[in-house]
Amino acid sequence: MSDVLETHLQELRRGTVVLACLRLLRTAEYGYRLLEQLESRGFATDANTLYPLLRRLEKQEYLTSEWNTDEARPRKFYRTAEAGIRLADTMTEEWRLLTTAIATLTEAED
Amino acid sequence: MSTPTPLTERYVSATVRSLKPAAQEDVRSELQASIADAIEARLEHGESREAAERAVLTELGDPDILAAGYADRPLHLLGPRYYLTWLRLLKTLLIIVPLCVVGGVALAQTLAGASVGQTIGEVAAVGASTVVHLCFWVTLVFVMLERTGADTGTDWDVGQLPEPSVDGAGKGELIASLAFLALATGAVFWDHFRGLISGDGQALPILNPALWPWWIGSLLVLMGFEAALAIALYARKRWTTDLAVMNTILAVLIMSILVTLLGNDQLINSEVIAYAEAQHGVERDTFDVLGIVTGFAIVGISVWDIVDGWRKTARARGVDVAEG
Repeated sequence: MSDVLETHLQELRRGTVVLACLRLLRTAEYGYRLLEQLESRGFATDANTLYPLLRRLEKQEYLTSEWNTDEARPRKFYRTAEAGIRLADTMTEEWRLLTTAIATLTEAED
Repeated sequence: MSTPTPLTERYVSATVRSLKPAAQEDVRSELQASIADAIEARLEHGESREAAERAVLTELGDPDILAAGYADRPLHLLGPRYYLTWLRLLKTLLIIVPLCVVGGVALAQTLAGASVGQTIGEVAAVGASTVVHLCFWVTLVFVMLERTGADTGTDWDVGQLPEPSVDGAGKGELIASLAFLALATGAVFWDHFRGLISGDGQALPILNPALWPWWIGSLLVLMGFEAALAIALYARKRWTTDLAVMNTILAVLIMSILVTLLGNDQLINSEVIAYAEAQHGVERDTFDVLGIVTGFAIVGISVWDIVDGWRKTARARGVDVAEG
């Protein structure tokens, strides 16, 4: 795939990972597991983008986190906070509007 | 299994070392766990431990980039937020400052009776180092502005549109004015304490040392007022009548002091003149001509400054009328 095409697609996808995380993390999950879930649901994300993103969202108080030390390997679990749920709703609404808008564009072409 | 291998340990350390101490331990533990999870997933697919670890770390990429992501740190020297202001200011200063410095050096060399070759050499050297310094320091200031996230009043609205372009009351002009005043003040002090030209191994100040402290002090105070005026102009975002009046008073005062001193042969250090006469055979007439040229330059610049202020005031008022 050409670099230019890749850049355009990246720009289009930017932000969808945030929305996907906020939705998926209504059930608490740790970094690597979330990465797998994103992958399997079609949100291809790099680990080096996701891990800093989780901390950033936590700092912005859209996520909360908790260390789970019950198992052999201690893991940091993230969960969507109240503000994160509201943000996800707003973003989903925006996404719907965009989908409709894009649909009218493609209809116009037909 | 919970102890990370040396390679992972090195990777994690390289990532967290530039983070804030408070975040380091947390990021370290989390990153170690994530890497271990990823390695395990690969082991289940039958990869060797070593190959899996290498693959996982390679996928995570340069630890410095990862650290920048954690710390929310930009990976560029100067971002789009300051780039245009930086570029405009640098261009303006690169036109004005080297010209002034080179002119000053050329004048000093001529007064000291240097040969043409010497003068050209000195001018080239000083000019080049001025350009390098200018680029370096201006860029450094902007990089610090960007890193500290200082507010440069970037909240832009259409209302600001005509003002900076019409009446020269923008941030670029403010910084240029202040930078010029700082340079001029620095030159006055340098001249007094270190000497701008050197004759026979000893430094000679160009300005008459007898002017210290009162005359020079008054000039420095007036330059302080000039700085205050530049700040007030920036704060108002446009030229106004009272600013133009202030500008006129300051220009007239500075012009009067300089021309009076020049006319009474008190501005230039008499030792410099004596030195040039004795050592290099510069004739008395030459100084008279130089004095007249300097006098005209002072008057010319002051008058231009006064007229410029009123012209911009009139134009700013024109904008008001157009807006009203």
